[in-house]
Amino acid sequence: MGEILSRVHANNLVRWAADKPNAVVFSADLTGSTEVDLFRDAYPGRFFSFGVAEQNMLSFAGGMAREGFLPLVHTFGVFIYRRAYDQVAMSVAYPNLPVRMFGFLPGVTTPGGATHQAIEDVALMRSLPNMTVLDCGDATDVETVLDAIETIPGPVYVRMLRGEVPRLFAAAEPLRVGRSRLVHAPASGPADLAVFSSGICTEEAIRAVRAMADRGLAIHHRHVSTLKPFDDPAILAAAVEARCGVITMENHVVVGGLGSAVAETLAEAGVGKKLVRIGLADTFAHGASKAYLMKEYGLDAAALIRRAEGLLGRTLNIGEADLAAVRIEPVHSMAKAEAL
Amino acid sequence: MARDERIAELEEKARRIRAHVVRIAGMSDCHTGGSLSIADMLAGLYFHTLRVDPGLPGWEGRDYFILSKGHCVPALDAALAMRGFFPEDALTTHLQLDSIISGHACARVTPGIDVSTGSLGHGLSIGVGLALGVRMDGAANRVFVMIGDGELQEGSNWEAAMAGAHHKLEGLVAIVDRNMYQTGPTEEMMALEPLADKWRAFGWATRVIDGHDMAQIVETLDALPFEKGRPSAIVSRTEKGHGVSMSIHQHMNRFDEAQTATMLAELGQGGGEGGRN
Ligand SMILES: Cc1ncc(C[n+]2csc(CCOP(=O)(O)OP(=O)(O)O)c2C)c(N)n1
Repeated sequence: MGEILSRVHANNLVRWAADKPNAVVFSADLTGSTEVDLFRDAYPGRFFSFGVAEQNMLSFAGGMAREGFLPLVHTFGVFIYRRAYDQVAMSVAYPNLPVRMFGFLPGVTTPGGATHQAIEDVALMRSLPNMTVLDCGDATDVETVLDAIETIPGPVYVRMLRGEVPRLFAAAEPLRVGRSRLVHAPASGPADLAVFSSGICTEEAIRAVRAMADRGLAIHHRHVSTLKPFDDPAILAAAVEARCGVITMENHVVVGGLGSAVAETLAEAGVGKKLVRIGLADTFAHGASKAYLMKEYGLDAAALIRRAEGLLGRTLNIGEADLAAVRIEPVHSMAKAEAL
Repeated sequence: MARDERIAELEEKARRIRAHVVRIAGMSDCHTGGSLSIADMLAGLYFHTLRVDPGLPGWEGRDYFILSKGHCVPALDAALAMRGFFPEDALTTHLQLDSIISGHACARVTPGIDVSTGSLGHGLSIGVGLALGVRMDGAANRVFVMIGDGELQEGSNWEAAMAGAHHKLEGLVAIVDRNMYQTGPTEEMMALEPLADKWRAFGWATRVIDGHDMAQIVETLDALPFEKGRPSAIVSRTEKGHGVSMSIHQHMNRFDEAQTATMLAELGQGGGEGGRN
């Protein structure tokens, strides 16, 4: 395992907002839980507490944005897109206002059960006109997302990670909107498989891909942090090259998220590759630890290997011990030749 | 049974609910503060007022209880177990695999829970619909909804309050656990006062009581419905974390073994088996 960082967003937000007097932070009674306590203490005049009132918070954000402020709305993802979707759609997205929404506890990252797990947020937000949708997968994504979206004139929804977050990508290689990251490329020649992962699934995919590469498979693995717009040419190019097919892996239902975006891209380009979508299979999840849920719902490294075996039509003989042995160092994506 | 004895018995039930909450916090993260503040009211409801049949959780004639502040399910689970819906031993499986005890109120797994909650601001609307349905069926089930004060900041509650009064739902009771805190102090975050006046203005027959005074709780519950042709609201003034010093004004606790023992001792419930009957 590479470096593990703590409270990355909390610290980064304070740094980032220092020279942006129009940036205001909103919380709906989840200030500590969404790591905006540091901001509140640093800039009390720019921090607004709404109580447990997300609908008001989102339309209010639309109001302040009209006046030239940049509202950064923080709560659990579910309470943005489930509770306040109409407010997001009509008060923010339709007038195309620069409101930044940080949805915490994506997918199975919480033991809170169905009420707290944002499992279909990407699907809903992606289908909303004017919306940009991002999914953070590591500390570097979290640390650089504010800068990356700074010039986007309309609303942005970010799936955010909190607490202890691993660094998978080099600190000097920031998230770039619309550009996936190359995580692993075949040593030579075309790939057997293209793997596209997002969010916390990328760490799992890295383990599985290393183990499969050790068995001689040629794999092209990319980490996708921008889910809308979904127009990175590197994704299509990687899929076209992959001889046996494509696998997507996301901490979200398989409907409407990364897997769907890839399917749409392939179909529209007339690329007839087999596609396996790893994600929650049209089910609510229950409450348990992240590690348990990832295993239970087939979102972990072992699941990727099983699904790859299915696609390849043969077993790879990779056990839990092989996966546990994979050491994850920060990935230097730009250091490698891009596929495109 | 003499009234004083009855009150003392209910107070003992409340202490045991609190002890269960402490034990749960000794095993896993637990929303202690808001669970402890409702212990007395739950004792009054489950051991004095609610018409329920633990042997038949789905009994058609039952009164409905909806814990809209679903994160406080540890106290509800304790009350349900003590009332006989399932063995008290099950409480020690909080957050474990295949447990019937979950982190937010879950109707799917826990006998005696009718409505799953955890996303704040649903319970009262569900209660209004349920109460109207009951009336249309010509039935007599009553509907009790327990709401957090922080939770009342959700606008949906006020839409529901409007509807409850509009439909003159006499069988509907809203109990606001007015413990003055959410993850922080409620009046500082988004003020609710004058709270009882808001309920009255919305057309509810409203009483403000001391939610830790069992005699008042019983007297109030016995007086339901407060007025003909109106839903009833009880603003139950409580202390978040009441009865457990380490939980006062706390939203969540996780106790280690020594802390658990000390907090149980505070409740006069000793360790391990002390709280069982
Ligand atoms: C719609 C919604 N928004 C936010 C939360 C997160 N949350 C859980 S408990 C809580 C505070 C609730 O305060 P209150 O209703 O006063 O409950 P109590 O203090 O009695 O525990 C919050 C904000 C939630 N569960 N649901």
